Formats: sequence, structure tokens, C-alpha cells
Amino acid sequence: MSDDSLAWLGTDPIPAAPYHDPLWFGLEREAVFRRSWLQIGHVCELPDSGSFIRREIEVLDASLLIVRGRDGEIRAFHNVCTHRGTQLVAEESGKRSNFSCPYHRWSFGTDGALLAAPDFDRFFVDKADCALPRVALDICGGLIFVHLGTPEKSLRDDLGPYATMLDGFPAAQATTFSEYVYDIDANWKLTYDNFQENYHLRFIHPRSGAPAVGEDNPFGYPAKMGFHGPHRTQTIWTNPDPAPKPVQAQSFGRAARFAMADGTAGLHSRDYLALFPNFFILGSPAQPFSHTVWPIDAHRSRGVIRLYWKGEDDCASRRYAREYAMASARDIHAEDRDVIEAGQRGLNSGALKHIHFQAQEALCRHLFNIVYERVSAYRAELAAITPPALALAEAQA
Amino acid sequence: MSTLLPAGFAALTPFTDCWAISGSIARAARRGDAHPTDRAAFFAAAAPLLDAALTHLDTCPINALSPADQRLMDMMLTLAHVSLTEEILGDQEPAHYRQRRAMHITRTPAGA
Repeated sequence: MSDDSLAWLGTDPIPAAPYHDPLWFGLEREAVFRRSWLQIGHVCELPDSGSFIRREIEVLDASLLIVRGRDGEIRAFHNVCTHRGTQLVAEESGKRSNFSCPYHRWSFGTDGALLAAPDFDRFFVDKADCALPRVALDICGGLIFVHLGTPEKSLRDDLGPYATMLDGFPAAQATTFSEYVYDIDANWKLTYDNFQENYHLRFIHPRSGAPAVGEDNPFGYPAKMGFHGPHRTQTIWTNPDPAPKPVQAQSFGRAARFAMADGTAGLHSRDYLALFPNFFILGSPAQPFSHTVWPIDAHRSRGVIRLYWKGEDDCASRRYAREYAMASARDIHAEDRDVIEAGQRGLNSGALKHIHFQAQEALCRHLFNIVYERVSAYRAELAAITPPALALAEAQA
Repeated sequence: MSTLLPAGFAALTPFTDCWAISGSIARAARRGDAHPTDRAAFFAAAAPLLDAALTHLDTCPINALSPADQRLMDMMLTLAHVSLTEEILGDQEPAHYRQRRAMHITRTPAGA
């Protein structure tokens, strides 16, 4: 991809403050995270009627209850009793026919409806008005997304051509997964950006990342980049002469054979999608992983990485291949964390007014541009609030 | 001692106590906690037997392995972690160990 074809993204230095300023982060919460589809789970986590998962969306101070109802539909609710706000569910996951509040025993069905409440006749409201607050939920490629605002588009419309790509990724057929999680003292964009460029591979992953660099491509420039709306894609360049080690070759060889047999080794083995705002997914058949970077505050984030698998472990070789794939991916991700935190410490000092992205960091620039647009539009909305409206808002607060 | 592992894998018998480990979290931790000499010795003994071990274990239902077969399975799963130190990282392992501990395994099909 030529530098000229990326000119529309701009070439100016990027202001550094959005990577450490708490005030900017506060704007991002509403402008970006309340107004975007957020990836929070997979349909395989909800196999049966009554299966549920709880997800904490710390950036929006929300706890969500995702439930498969008796009709088979998966719904999302705020995990909050409509009596006095008590959080209904403490478990991370499970299976129930109804959800009973621990405080006064109001109970709700898997469709969110209030089923019963002790001494309800003496309340001044109808049961029909006491259903759990619903959150917009949509599914693509087996992945569950929620929207905590009012979606302007369906998930598929928002993803455009990437929805079809997602349908072809191994995760679309997954029935189980491996997962590892890390906390990091770094802004979510700085963390996310690390995984949007290969410029760092030869320095941070000189051995574990060797297959993605080579004599012909020492900085691991991607084979292709693409953009759609706020989302983007990249095709990873792969060294044609990687010289794998013996156990490594055996392990990935097994994983690749299982992927072929399972039909999960599709067209996207070197593609990854970066879906706005905070989700990646890679179509590799041997290491089909997703990575969500959750903001916690301006300087802290949490990464959730999953490797998705089709079918249970039905033999020793499959179990082994999955263990190796997870351990190998975890190694590479572990190598990134320290250097991202070092970058955050540098930015926190305020020493830099700007940072610089080169051509390979086009995806990083694209993320910044979209965030900047969204935050600017939100600021304009706030500025347009007339004094009477502001007074009304304050009166209602 | 002869029943600790299935026939053909007696060379791994001295390693069963330390390296036949249940659970991915514990396996990952043992890789990092082990003395480098012990880890290298386990790798040298186990890596050449990986293919034979999996070929043997693939003949048994995964959820009905005998105790000896389960021990061998657990050793091969530990080898998956250890091989990354021995084959890939080499002298980068000490620094890598600290970085790895921040990556908390929460779920695997083999049991976290």
C-alpha cells in the first residue's frame, strides 16, 4: 500500500493530550463508548435457555446481564433491579430460570419481565412498567455486541463489508475458547495502537514475532490495509521462509490440520479486523484470537484475549495443539505490556505536546482521527445546549 | 515405577513428579518457577517423544485416559509451555518471566 493512498488520513503530528488527559477521557466515555457497538461475548457462552453471563463495562459504570431466553433469543439488560437499583446477579455466568433480587426478592424472567414481587399490591406502579432495562444487543460472526446508547445503525450496517468478513472468521463457528486477561497502566488507545502496527515487532518480539518479519520486509509492513467507516483491516505479511523450531512446527502443524478438518481455515488466515472502538480479531486458523481493550480510566485499561475453538477436545492432539497455541499467543502479548506502560509514563509527564505516526501506523492514525471526530462532535453538541436547556438539565440532575 | 507412564515412555519417569501438572495456570507457572537446568532437562527428554506420545494418546478417548496416560498427557501439555522457553526465548526467559505473570489465564478447554 503506497503512502499516497493513505494521504486522506493526514500526516500531521497527533496531539498527545488525548492519550493521558482525564478530561478528554471523560468526553470519550460518552462520545465513543456510549455511542458505539461494544463486543462483550460469544454465543457459545449462552448454550441453553436460561444461560447467562454478567459483564462489567467499567468505562460506562454499567453491569450487564446477557441472557438466552426461553424463546432462544439472546437479550441484554442492565444488571439492576427496578425496585431500588440493587445489582441482581453477582456470579460471572450460570444458568437460571429467573433472577431474584437479593434485597427484597423481586424476581425477573429470562426475558426481563418482572414475574413477582412480595406485597406488590401496595406499590404504585404496574408490573409491566418494572421490566429490567433493556440494552441493545446484536450478533455477528458468533460475537455478541451491545450498544449502551441509541444505535444509529444495526450492527451489520455499521460493520458494512466487515460483517461478511466476520462471518468467515473461525470465531463464527466457535463452541469454546481459551482466555487470558491483563491489566495495564496505560490509556486504551495507546494499548490498542500497539497491536495496530508491526513497526515494533523486530524490537519487542525479536524471536516470538520472527515469522512476521524477514529480509524482504524487515519492519513487517502489512500486505494490505483497508478502511470502512470507523473500522479498519490489515493483512499480515508472513515470512515465506520462517524456519520454525521442531516443537513449534509440530504444534502449529497439528493446529492447522485440525482447522482444515473443522472447516475453520478460511480465506482470512492472515487478516485481522480492528472494529471501532476497542476490538480486534485475527482469522489465523492456528491462533484464531480476539482482543478487546477495555478502558478503565485515562491511564488504565484491561485486555481480554480469547482464542476461539470449534468443538470440544476430542483427542489428545487437539488438546495439546490448543494449549500450545494459547501459550504461544500469551508469550507474544506478554512482551508488549511493559513497553506500552513505559510509553504511558512518558506521556503522563506532559513532556510531549504531540506524537508522530509514520506510514505503517496508518491504522493508529485512523483510530485517532475517528475518536477526535466523535469527541469534537460531542463537544459541539454540548456547546449548542442553550442556557434554558442547560438550566433544565441542571434542574433534572 | 513402571506403571507411572505407558509402555515406551519410561525415559520420562524421573520427570513425572515435577512436570505432570493438571491445569493450564499451574503448567504456565511451573515453566516460570522451575530451575533453568531442570526445565532444560525436561525439555530434552520430552520434546523428542512429543509425536509418539500424542500418537499413543490419540488412540484413547480423551475423557477416559488411564492414570498413566493422563500423566503423559499432562506432561505433554506442560511441554507446550516449556518448549517456548527452550526453543524460542532462550536467554530472554528471565525478563520474559516477569512480563508473563501479568497475563492471567482464566479459561482453557483443558481446564484453567
